[in-house]
Amino acid sequence: MRNYLRFLWRCFGVSFVGDWRYYTWVGTLTALCLLGINAYAKQFVAGLELTGMSDQVSWGVYIANFTFLVGMAAAAVMLVIPVYIYKNEDLHDLVIFGELLAVAAILMCLAFVTVDLGRPDRFWHLIPGIGVFHFPGSMLSWDVLVLNGYLVLNVYICGYLLFCRYNNRKPATWFYIPFVFTAIVWAISIHTVTAFLYVGLGGRPFWNSSIVGPRFLASAFTGGPAFIILSLQVIRRATASKILVSDQDGQGHPGPGKAARDRFQRQATLADLDRLIDRLPEFREVPLEERQKCLAGALHLDVAAGEVLLRQGETSQEAFWVIEGKVVVRREENGRLRITRTVGPGELCGEVSALSGTQREATAAAAMPSEILSIPADSLNRLMKTKKLHDVITWRMGERLMISDRSLLILRSIVQVSMIINVFLLANEIFTEFYNSNKHDVSWKYLILGLKGYHALVPWFWSAMTLNITAMIILMLPLSRTLKWLNVACVLCIFGIWIEKGMGLVVPGFIPTPLGEMVEYLPTRNETLICVGIWAFGLLCFTIFLRMAVPILQGQLSRSNET
Amino acid sequence: MSRRSFLRSTALLSAGVAAVAAGLAPLRKLGEFGSVDEFLQKYYKELTPEEMKAVIARIEAEVERQYGIRPHVRDYKPMNGVEFVYALNLTRCVGCRKCVHSCVAENNQSRNPEIQYIRVLKMPNDGTFDVDKGDHNYAPKSVPEPGFFYMPVQCQQCKNPPCVKVCPVKATWQEPDGITVIDYNWCIGCRYCEAACPYFARRFNFTTPSIPKEQINTNMSYLGNRPRYKGVMEKCHFCTQRTRAGRYPACVEVCPTGSRKFGNILDPESEVSYILKTKRVYVLKPELGTLPRFFYYFDI
Repeated sequence: MRNYLRFLWRCFGVSFVGDWRYYTWVGTLTALCLLGINAYAKQFVAGLELTGMSDQVSWGVYIANFTFLVGMAAAAVMLVIPVYIYKNEDLHDLVIFGELLAVAAILMCLAFVTVDLGRPDRFWHLIPGIGVFHFPGSMLSWDVLVLNGYLVLNVYICGYLLFCRYNNRKPATWFYIPFVFTAIVWAISIHTVTAFLYVGLGGRPFWNSSIVGPRFLASAFTGGPAFIILSLQVIRRATASKILVSDQDGQGHPGPGKAARDRFQRQATLADLDRLIDRLPEFREVPLEERQKCLAGALHLDVAAGEVLLRQGETSQEAFWVIEGKVVVRREENGRLRITRTVGPGELCGEVSALSGTQREATAAAAMPSEILSIPADSLNRLMKTKKLHDVITWRMGERLMISDRSLLILRSIVQVSMIINVFLLANEIFTEFYNSNKHDVSWKYLILGLKGYHALVPWFWSAMTLNITAMIILMLPLSRTLKWLNVACVLCIFGIWIEKGMGLVVPGFIPTPLGEMVEYLPTRNETLICVGIWAFGLLCFTIFLRMAVPILQGQLSRSNET
Repeated sequence: MSRRSFLRSTALLSAGVAAVAAGLAPLRKLGEFGSVDEFLQKYYKELTPEEMKAVIARIEAEVERQYGIRPHVRDYKPMNGVEFVYALNLTRCVGCRKCVHSCVAENNQSRNPEIQYIRVLKMPNDGTFDVDKGDHNYAPKSVPEPGFFYMPVQCQQCKNPPCVKVCPVKATWQEPDGITVIDYNWCIGCRYCEAACPYFARRFNFTTPSIPKEQINTNMSYLGNRPRYKGVMEKCHFCTQRTRAGRYPACVEVCPTGSRKFGNILDPESEVSYILKTKRVYVLKPELGTLPRFFYYFDI
């Protein structure tokens, strides 16, 4: 418990530290947040008359944003499912970013619902057990349950996994896997329940269609992963540094520090292994004769700070066990270097490519004078036959912060397929409504063509269609395998889906009214400022979560460097 | 901590505090907060008779403070063996909107912004009976106009009310006499009921209602016409302050053509029972299964 508080305190502390880019970004978001708070204070005093809403159009841009953001939150499963069900390795390191985004999105959702309430002071009427909770009758009470439940689940999962990583401890399966699988089902449920808020209203034919639920999921799985693709690249960029000359030392060295190594290397002995075993208790399970055998070809190295053990792009056959000291692993991506992990006493580096015989994914260099055990791939394979050691090695293999282009391309195919399904479902709905023209289609007519001289939403609809279809075409072409075009498509997706689910779904449901009256809606300035404030708040939360999580994932912030 | 970093963090901190204070500045105009008692008031159905007495006394004091006039608030209960039903004769209705105005006066509806429970639609006599063709804002020199009939719409007091189903806090419910009421002290203002209503019968207080002191109707009921708060829903409640005391709703009383009929459907001798037995009646949007207690009929 005390450890956890200490962990939280250090996370809190690190959120105040950053470079000028970080301070500018956080400062701007805070200023926008304050603008939003100011606008909300005005609304709190005057009432919802400061919005563009009316009795005729009684929900507006708040609920539109809410609906969109529930989708963003639900989209985290599109990272979780490949990793936990299909054991995808590329997305493994990134799943936590999806979960952190879900937390930020749910916080925004809760804020949007709160600012939409006429009587926010009476929120306690909604708390089960204290107020009067209309469950299971009201879909809104379901939404309260599923959203808060999803928030708790994700906060718990992220908190637990990061805490374990901080302590350099393997997460206990029973403490998180059941919650991860619950969260998968839960993510689908939050968006389905949100769709049912609308679908359940028999008096609103525009929403009262069973395809709205599937459409919600399809659009969520388009917009969410598109946002994740963009934010991952921002993370990749922000957590990397330009390649400095000092990082390139060893360029002149022959091979991976060969000259230096000759001086300090010697045959490894059982005594060296014993020192390693002190740091890695699982090693004790290995029988003595196996230990002896694996020493064949193993070297004991004394390396100086800055000395490179292995270099990205090369192929070599050994893995490196740190007995004493620290090794930092950096990966070069797009001309920048990023720390992917920090290896301390008792930990391995270079094991992945040693075992698979593939190219080195990153460059590992000693961060301080260190003692290293260099071990050939054959010996490592032999050691891995011991189950406990095998488990600890494979678990740590996953503990790298890799944001590879390959993982972005996996997300690309998710966005691509979801967008195709989304457009297809929309086409289904439009056909059903228009082909056999009946009373159901008045809101659709208003949305697409305008009705009785009113057409405020027509440009919104057509811009959403243009954005979505352009994005779909780009995503289907091979050119979206390049990041530049992929990013363009993602931006189009996010805006397209935002309009489709916001102005294009919430607002036309009210127009015309059930009595045929035409009253249009446009958000006011104050209403828009509140929305901007909440978005800034959400991005601020996401930024701070990332600021805390990234150093933990890189091994830079851990229990071993507590002061 | 060095002098420089101390000065810097002090400056940052005070700038932050100033910014937050500036952000929250509009709250100074909040005026008086609702009382703690109002904030903590229990749900209507959970109030004991004593607690209800205290609540009513508090509400009377609130109304007096706000409007400068002492009201008489009662918690009118439904009568046994009574289920109210409304019948409206579309042949007779001339669209004069007297019902709309008497309703506003009787039920202490906000004059600014204007809130009205009854919406009268001017419909063309073209055989379509399509509300989408209705005119909500007709304003001729005199009514009725040839070629049109008039259809007033208000809360249909459904037997299967969608608005009650969706309320997340049960702030609106159906009483044994068939009236769907709202506890203005329990509603959280989410407006889900307004989205659910297929008859555009519900109204929201987008701001604090305003009623001139001399126009206040001091005969008030807790679930009915007492003044509402900012941020809560309201709607037609068949004038509970009148009908539960044996009188007609204001709209029935004022109708100059006798188009509006009201009574107890459980009493076979009542006027509405007679109409339902002898006239061809219909309800709005029967396909939704809301089962309105508000019937329309024609003489011819």
